[in-house]
Amino acid sequence: MTALQIDNLSKRYGALHALRDVSFAVESGEIFGYLGPNGAGKTTTLRAILGLVRTESGEVRLFGEKIGRAEIRAGVGFLPGELHLYANMTGAALLNYFADFRPQQPPKLRPKLLDKLEVDHTVLARRVKFLSHGTKQKLGLVIAMQHDPRLLLLDEPTLGLDPLMQKALHELLLDFAKRGSAVLFSSHILSEVKSICHRVAILREGELVAVERLDTLRDKMIRRLQVRFRNTVPKTLPQTAGIVRAQITGHEATLWVQGDINPMLRCLAASEVEHLVFPEPELEDIFMSYFQPQEQDRA
Amino acid sequence: MRNLLRGLVARHALFITLCMLLLGGFEFLICGLVATVDVSGILKEVTKAVPAFLQGLLTEQVFSGMTTRGILAFGWNHPVALALGAAVAVVLAAQAVAGEIENGTLELLLSQPLSRRNYLFAHVLFALLALGVLSLLGVLGTYLGQKYYGLALFEWRPLRQLALNFFALNAAWYGLALLLSVFARESGRVTGATFLFALLSYVVQALGKLWPAAGLLLPYSLYSYYAPAEILIQEASTAKALTVLGSVCVCSLGLSLWRFQRRDIP
Repeated sequence: MTALQIDNLSKRYGALHALRDVSFAVESGEIFGYLGPNGAGKTTTLRAILGLVRTESGEVRLFGEKIGRAEIRAGVGFLPGELHLYANMTGAALLNYFADFRPQQPPKLRPKLLDKLEVDHTVLARRVKFLSHGTKQKLGLVIAMQHDPRLLLLDEPTLGLDPLMQKALHELLLDFAKRGSAVLFSSHILSEVKSICHRVAILREGELVAVERLDTLRDKMIRRLQVRFRNTVPKTLPQTAGIVRAQITGHEATLWVQGDINPMLRCLAASEVEHLVFPEPELEDIFMSYFQPQEQDRA
Repeated sequence: MRNLLRGLVARHALFITLCMLLLGGFEFLICGLVATVDVSGILKEVTKAVPAFLQGLLTEQVFSGMTTRGILAFGWNHPVALALGAAVAVVLAAQAVAGEIENGTLELLLSQPLSRRNYLFAHVLFALLALGVLSLLGVLGTYLGQKYYGLALFEWRPLRQLALNFFALNAAWYGLALLLSVFARESGRVTGATFLFALLSYVVQALGKLWPAAGLLLPYSLYSYYAPAEILIQEASTAKALTVLGSVCVCSLGLSLWRFQRRDIP
């Protein structure tokens, strides 16, 4: 079942095109990554899904129904990118306050979430204004998930969480998906999307660059590699299969590699390598995969 | 919506209770002042110091002949009473939308299965209830003060009319402030702009009453439709005032709802 369907969504803020003709769908049981740099339009998309912003054109359907009725949001859990909570409420009062908006959906997942995210009763007894940023983020996650929504919309959910909590959240999301809920997960960090998402949409300057399965994305992804050779850079290196671009400065080479890396590794093995850096791909590397022409530079 | 109302009570209870106690206490103390101090004598001395053409106007218009009842009525037209009523109205309206946007909480609230109409309705209901109780407590202050200090009691009807007029005046300020609030993102600006408008309205009314040439401005001041002296002393009808203030309130609330349902959050 399609939990979320977006068709040709466009939104402008004055002269700025926040979204241009954005279309995608998220299926039940799927974790869908929504990737883009800051200001790409991720938050605007989430707000449009919830009817918080009015769009110039396009349509959003939640569980097959057009948004408009407030009741349709009963099946949705949302964590905003910039979470602000009522500072004078205690953690427990806050969770109850938001749970009361859904009298038909008791917060049955709350104990499990509190346990998994390590929010204990002393934290819940304190006023929100005395809690750390990370703890507030955990409360925001519990608010979003405690009623076991059919669609989870999370805007940069790992902000402020330590690595252990990020892992705990990933496990929770995988569990949600396993039980048939859909998760739309916005982020500008490629590695976290790669670790849990089934499909990703990539957004840049309000336009969808691609909607791909993760394995397809991996194949298309151009990764950057830096090598320093003890002697000169092998002349055949730029022509090696898989290398789509090479920038050579003295004994150093920066290589952009796509697909199978073995031919390149064989080429490197034939020379004496002094230093090699093959970092985790970043968002820019993905954009490069879709936008940069294949070229070879030699300085 | 019930939990929204509960949340509003929890957030604003202290401020509203304080305003209620201050208004009730102020009206109570005015009775004490009238009973224990020769206020009319002092005021007569004070008015001697102002130019002759103002003396008659001050005596007649502001202190209503300087009778005990006139001074008690002035207690309801005193800037402290007016400011307390306006404060509750304006602060609640400014917080309702602009304040929630400024705090960043409106986005999370409206992502719940809660329509914007119901959200605004809860806020309006809460504010009108608070203003209603504020008006009643103010009147109770006057009543208890009169009883405690042994002053002649007002009839219930004019007291009821006064409470209704005070409520309608502040409900109108609430409506206007809410209209600004649904356009804004910062509650401070809404509060400042509405208080400035209220001050201007007060000055216009005072000018219009004291200076005949400025009388044509009177219909444009909301305070012209609030007349405690006429109600308490002459037992004048408040029908016209209530109609005007009610219309301002209803129109402002209607426009606020129209705009709020169409604006982007945040």
